[in-house]
Amino acid sequence: MNSVTTRAENVARPVKLAAKPNWRRKLKKSYFAYLLMLPSIVLTLIFSYLPMPGILVAFQDHNIFAGLWNSPWVGFKHIREVFEVPMLRQAILNTLLLSVLMIIVSFPAPILLALLMNELKNGLFKRSVQTLSYMPHFLSWIAVVGLTYSLLDVDGPINDLKLLLLGADAERSMFLSHQALFVPMLLILSVWKEVGWGTIVFLAAITSIDPSLYEAAKIDGANRFQQHRHITFPGMKTTAVIMLIFTLGALFGSNFELVYGMQNAFIDFPVISTVVFSSGIQQGNYSTAAAVGFVEGLVAFTLMISANFIAKKVSRISIF
Amino acid sequence: MNYESASYKVFKAANITFLSVLVFIMVFPFLNVLALAFNDPLDSQFGGITIYPRVFTLDNFKLLFANDEVIHALWISLARVAAGTTIAVLVQFACAYAFTLKEVAGRGAILIFLIIPMYFNGGLIPTYLIYSELHVSNTFWVYILPVSFSLYNMVIIRSYLYTIPDSLGESARIDGANDWTIMTRVYMPLSMPIIAVMTLWTAVYHWNDWTTTLYYVTDHKLYTMQYILMQILKEGERVAKLMEEALMKNITVISSGQPHITPQAIRAANIIVTSLPIIIVYPFLQRFFVKGVTLGAVKE
Repeated sequence: MNSVTTRAENVARPVKLAAKPNWRRKLKKSYFAYLLMLPSIVLTLIFSYLPMPGILVAFQDHNIFAGLWNSPWVGFKHIREVFEVPMLRQAILNTLLLSVLMIIVSFPAPILLALLMNELKNGLFKRSVQTLSYMPHFLSWIAVVGLTYSLLDVDGPINDLKLLLLGADAERSMFLSHQALFVPMLLILSVWKEVGWGTIVFLAAITSIDPSLYEAAKIDGANRFQQHRHITFPGMKTTAVIMLIFTLGALFGSNFELVYGMQNAFIDFPVISTVVFSSGIQQGNYSTAAAVGFVEGLVAFTLMISANFIAKKVSRISIF
Repeated sequence: MNYESASYKVFKAANITFLSVLVFIMVFPFLNVLALAFNDPLDSQFGGITIYPRVFTLDNFKLLFANDEVIHALWISLARVAAGTTIAVLVQFACAYAFTLKEVAGRGAILIFLIIPMYFNGGLIPTYLIYSELHVSNTFWVYILPVSFSLYNMVIIRSYLYTIPDSLGESARIDGANDWTIMTRVYMPLSMPIIAVMTLWTAVYHWNDWTTTLYYVTDHKLYTMQYILMQILKEGERVAKLMEEALMKNITVISSGQPHITPQAIRAANIIVTSLPIIIVYPFLQRFFVKGVTLGAVKE
């Protein structure tokens, strides 16, 4: 263990020794570092910083020919619209609803699955369960949507199953055009795709718990449930809180691929991201779409900051 | 010591059953579409396909690959994976390595500059407008450059580099190696595990992404496989075109009044083409993927 000295530990000494003005070497070394950082800096500047002032589009009647600086300024007109136009208001409500449901369903799922997987003995079965449950994570959302279309097809297996259960004269259903099934389907799909992958961090957290704690608890007469209650859960807490903060921050409006993929002519469920796409990019109402995006960004940012703040207060864990 | 109560035995049996069912749910949709893709399209219409093809055929794939646009999209996808992954990994590794070097003036400020976009970004519309203005939209580069730098990946590579002892670089310098040689001949070979992780993650991202095409690309010559799949799923036009071309080229025949092909079969074949490469490769590389996640979860 002692032979592993990290780079950070090692440098403390040489820096002191080289304190005499060795500016040429320092500059030469810095020059090399700057050169290595340059591509990252330039890419960040162009693709992350340059779009930032573009948010001003939300406060003007943007005209693509006049450009950002010559389009007429209209203040909060479009921001007000976000809360006044029924369709936009609906999109915000839908996004909130979906986000809350996603948190309730998709946050605890991997924790539960990790606990169940952890009960398996190490061996072929455990490894197969892990490998196969990670698989959907590597499919693109659009492929997952494709699988769903196929599965729920009129002559697909779900309808086959329905006929098997209800008798051959039962009617085959068009599940994909049922408005009532849309949100449950989104939830099922997002759990299906990510639950297995989500177990990795929690399984790692469980594995890192000192086994002697369980031994001690057993000697003290704790049963399995009590062992989990007092050892496993506290051991997973840090990971769980960090994952929750990340989920909260990333959740609001990030379901574009799934919602857009699953939408069809029979479904009326606009969310913020699909509205930004359809009204902005498809129809060219840049100012309205930018205003919707601006409100979304504000809410997402507030959510993440407050999640971080609450987590810090409650459990002294934070990501910044 | 290993005494197990009866209720625990019941729990174990229930657990194994539950997880088996779960695994079935995880793989069944894929196996079903795999069967569908290799099954005779007209036969599939009777339903009842489970996980093996009832009337085996390769026609669905033949039809898909007879289309020039599909072939072109496949090449674009492959080119994107190759170029995007190489550039991204090099950019991120170089940056991470630079951050491990000492005595670099302004290091902290540069890091903050790179962190800020994680919390603030312009959003889709401003990004869309800037890309149009810079003429990156509708070029191959819109796939590559905007995602070449990732702070998250850079930080993971950096924490890996910190585990390599400093003395290795120092002894190479005493032997007369310059900065460049030390980086490429000492640290890069030692970082291969983390470079493999990043390569895989980035390659999967590039292969799977379709929204970049949706947002910023209208040029048909730049469509990717995943985007074609999206069109097949959501736009009747694409399916109609595929079927029409297959009829014209005599790949599919009209039997009993209807063409020997269905939109469902085309869809199944396309899903398989877009997801099979990853499904085949990933069990062998799984440990690299998993390693990346646990590395990333370790908070510095």
